[in-house]
Amino acid sequence: MEYITTIDGKEFQIEIIDKEHVSVDGKIVKVDFESVRSQPIFSLIVDGKSYEAYVYEGEENLEVLIKGRLYHSQVEDERERRLRAAAGGSKAASGTFYLKAPMPGLVVSVLVEEGQEVKEGDVLLILESMKMQNELRSPQDGVIGRIQVSGGDSVVQRQKMLSVE
Amino acid sequence: MFTKVLIANRGEIAVRILRACRELGIKTVAVYSTADRQALHVRYATEAYLLGPAPSSESYLKGDKIIEIALKSGAGAIHPGYGFLAENAAFAQAVEDAGLEFIGPSPFAISSMGDKAIARKTMLEAGVPVVPGTTGTDRLSDDELLKLAPGVGFPLLIKATAGGGGKGMREVKSIEEMPSALNSARGEAMSAFGEDNVYLEKLLLGARHIEIQVLADKFGNVIHLNERECSLQRRHQKLLEEAPSPAMTEELRERMGEVAVQAAKAVSYESAGTIECLVDKDKNFYFLEMNTRLQVEHPITELVTGVDIVMEQIRIARGRQLSLKQEDIKINGAAIECRINAEDPYNNFMPSTGHISHTVLPTGPGVRIDTGVYLGTEITPYYDSMISKLIVWGENRAQAILRMRRALAEYRVVGVRTNIPFHQTMMDSHRFLSGRYDTRFVEEEFDMEEMVEGKETYPDIAAIVATLVKHEQTERSAHVVRRNARDTSNWKWLSRWERLSK
Repeated sequence: MEYITTIDGKEFQIEIIDKEHVSVDGKIVKVDFESVRSQPIFSLIVDGKSYEAYVYEGEENLEVLIKGRLYHSQVEDERERRLRAAAGGSKAASGTFYLKAPMPGLVVSVLVEEGQEVKEGDVLLILESMKMQNELRSPQDGVIGRIQVSGGDSVVQRQKMLSVE
Repeated sequence: MFTKVLIANRGEIAVRILRACRELGIKTVAVYSTADRQALHVRYATEAYLLGPAPSSESYLKGDKIIEIALKSGAGAIHPGYGFLAENAAFAQAVEDAGLEFIGPSPFAISSMGDKAIARKTMLEAGVPVVPGTTGTDRLSDDELLKLAPGVGFPLLIKATAGGGGKGMREVKSIEEMPSALNSARGEAMSAFGEDNVYLEKLLLGARHIEIQVLADKFGNVIHLNERECSLQRRHQKLLEEAPSPAMTEELRERMGEVAVQAAKAVSYESAGTIECLVDKDKNFYFLEMNTRLQVEHPITELVTGVDIVMEQIRIARGRQLSLKQEDIKINGAAIECRINAEDPYNNFMPSTGHISHTVLPTGPGVRIDTGVYLGTEITPYYDSMISKLIVWGENRAQAILRMRRALAEYRVVGVRTNIPFHQTMMDSHRFLSGRYDTRFVEEEFDMEEMVEGKETYPDIAAIVATLVKHEQTERSAHVVRRNARDTSNWKWLSRWERLSK
């Protein structure tokens, strides 16, 4: 099975040959890979060097924590890559960003109105959780679409609160 | 003399107090909210009683219910820990009125330090230097504050007199920003403390936050246990503390210690307390506030002085004289505490909730962990995000740093994101290593990405891991589909089909 794996913008061609061998950009390496008892902790031994990694499920990709540093990854096989290329690929095309609650909490205040123009980095909403007020910012320039919450509302994790179009 | 103590708190500090009680052979009473039924403090205590639902306003802040439980269970004293009711003078008074011992200072000391304007005035009168700003304890209107502001000088801080934890506080760079900042500071103070009075304080740049631990008994004996360095903060929340401070000199320590003892005596303080100060580049120091309770970061002082502060609090409340004299207090080695919070340092320290599904605590020489977290703990949005305190001791600061690096690398928490990578990055930063940092360092100069530059990275290893994980996931989901398709055996299926067609 062949994959194209992107780590923080850098692409790697990775082929899984069998249980003990993978090829990285054409170079075959011997690997010993174990997942630790159904936990998201993995132990990888490559050429006698031992690495421990935590793997978190992100929104659409995997995040890998190794020796205190976080790597953002995107793993695609050939088919997925072709599909994405055919669909035009870029994220900018779809455009709409939905602000979802990153954790359960209480909406302290919504700082924008429907139809308002916002810039990347503008604070959209303040969410209180764990005794802290957290400012949630817009990741892109755009116009505020529908606002589905108001100050004083309790929200559950991943609840859609508003959109930036 | 009481032989049973009620602990009006939860989490790591409840466990910490339980441990001191156990060592002294004192029986314990835990109180808990429905969210904490399985918590360690409930399981460790001799007795446990339900307070109410998860929100703290319906549980851990219910002072009258806590006193009622203390009376019913026959506890002779209440230890409030930190947070919740710890600095609530009315609660301390109610405890006293119920004929119980409050393990902490008198209601008078709490209230005179609780109102920051009154505390500043008291300190000035006692000859303790305070951060320049407005004095007096009268309520000042916005107009009056606008007139006083240029005299204080910009940049300045607007602070709620009832404030704490960074709430009701605003930084102002110029007079133009004052009116809106006053408005929002008052608004926030009103919602947090039910009181919107504010005062002005000069913002000291390049200053360090250094605090002095004091112990005082009921007989007027007061000693100090030297300093803790707490400059590494984010949004006025401390993240990492160390003792002794790398910026301290023997002469400054002596002066600050004397002043701290003087400040405690000015309010007839008893029990453990902390004088927080700002120290500027020229080693001038100013009183900031007094915390009339046990501090989160008390263990680093315990490790370098050998004094068990919680045990001392209990002894003092039992009416014992301080067994220690100032000359008995020596600093042995160095200690560092990292607050391990359920926060994602890669995503603007956003709190993270969830279940702790797996955890391995660091152990070994010189490592101490104070925690209330257990396997399966749910980190809820109701309480603060601290999971544990990782504290290490070393013969000197360098050894303590090496040890902290080792302990952080051993620490495993799965289920929620933690700020462990933040602490690991901090332990490698040149600024931290050389001890050259101030209260603005984390917010203004520290960058997770920048700090790791020049260090070895492993993008290829990350690529292999990510690919193998994704590959396994794909294989597994394919397997699940195949197994479902075969769920009913072909023979069974055939016989059913035959019966149907009869």
